[in-house]
Amino acid sequence: MPSSLLTEPVLLILLSLADQPRHGYAILQDTHKISGGRVRLSTGTLYGALRRLLEERWIERFEARDTSRGKQAYRLTATGRRNLQAEVSRMRQLSRVASGRLAQTES
Amino acid sequence: MLAFYQLLLSLYPAGYRDEYQQEMLSVLVQLNEESSQQGWPARFLLAARETAGLLRGALQEHFYAFTGFDPLVAFPNRRIPMRSEFRFPKTTVTLMALILVAIIVAIEKAKAISESIPPSSTPVGPIRPEYVGVVPAFLIALGSACVMGLIGWAILFALGRSGIHRLSSVQPDANQTKPSTLGLK
Repeated sequence: MPSSLLTEPVLLILLSLADQPRHGYAILQDTHKISGGRVRLSTGTLYGALRRLLEERWIERFEARDTSRGKQAYRLTATGRRNLQAEVSRMRQLSRVASGRLAQTES
Repeated sequence: MLAFYQLLLSLYPAGYRDEYQQEMLSVLVQLNEESSQQGWPARFLLAARETAGLLRGALQEHFYAFTGFDPLVAFPNRRIPMRSEFRFPKTTVTLMALILVAIIVAIEKAKAISESIPPSSTPVGPIRPEYVGVVPAFLIALGSACVMGLIGWAILFALGRSGIHRLSSVQPDANQTKPSTLGLK
C-alpha cells in the first residue's frame, strides 16, 4: 500500500494505533475522538482497512494476555510507523506551505 | 438487530468470515449496547451506517477475493486527488477516440458482411499459398506498417505539442535561483 494511497480512514486508524495497541471497538472510538467527531467509521470499513494493513504488514496482531479472538488487539509495525511518519511529514510540509500562501494573500 | 448484522456478515467471502467475523460481531455488539443507551436516533444512525458499511465491505471483499485486486487502492476515497504532471493533450484524446470509433465501425462492418453472405454447407478449404502472391503480400504489409507508423507519429506529434517536453528547459525565476546574501558575510 503505497503512501500516496493512504485514505483518511486508514490514516486515522494508523494514528489511533500510534500510541498503543487497540482492539476494533477501541479503534472506532478513538478515530471518532481524534477526528473531532467528524469521522465515524463503520465496522465494515474498519475491518476492510485492517485486513489491508495486516496484509501490507503495516500493523500486526497484538497478543494481549486476556484477549479472546473476539477482542483482538492490533499495533503498528516498524513499517507502519515509518510510513505514518512519512505521511505526517508530508502533511506538515503541505500545511506549512498552505499557511504561508494564505498569510500572503491576507496581508 | 444483531441477527440482521449476522446475516450481513454472512455475505462476506468464507475466508474473510473465518478471519474476522467473530471480531466484527463483537464490535457490533458493543456498538449496539452503546447506542441503546443513547435513544432511537442513535440506534437508527448506527443501523444505517453499519448496514451500508457491511454491504459495501462485503462487495469489496468479494471483488478482492475474485480478482485479487483491491478496489480501494484503485478508487481511493476521502482523499485529495493527487494527479501527476502528465496530461494527455486534447488532440491525443481526440485521435485515440477516433481510432477507437474506426475500430468499432470496422468490426460492425465485418459483422454485417459476414451476416450478408449466405451460409454455405461446403466447408472452406485450406488456403493455398499460390493464390497470394509475394508482391501483393509485401505491399499489404508495407501499407499496414506505414499506416501504423503514421498513427504513432500523429500521437507523438500531439504529445510534443502539449509542451511537457519543454518543461525541463524552463529556467526558474532569476530572483529565486539567485542565492540570498542577506545575513552572510
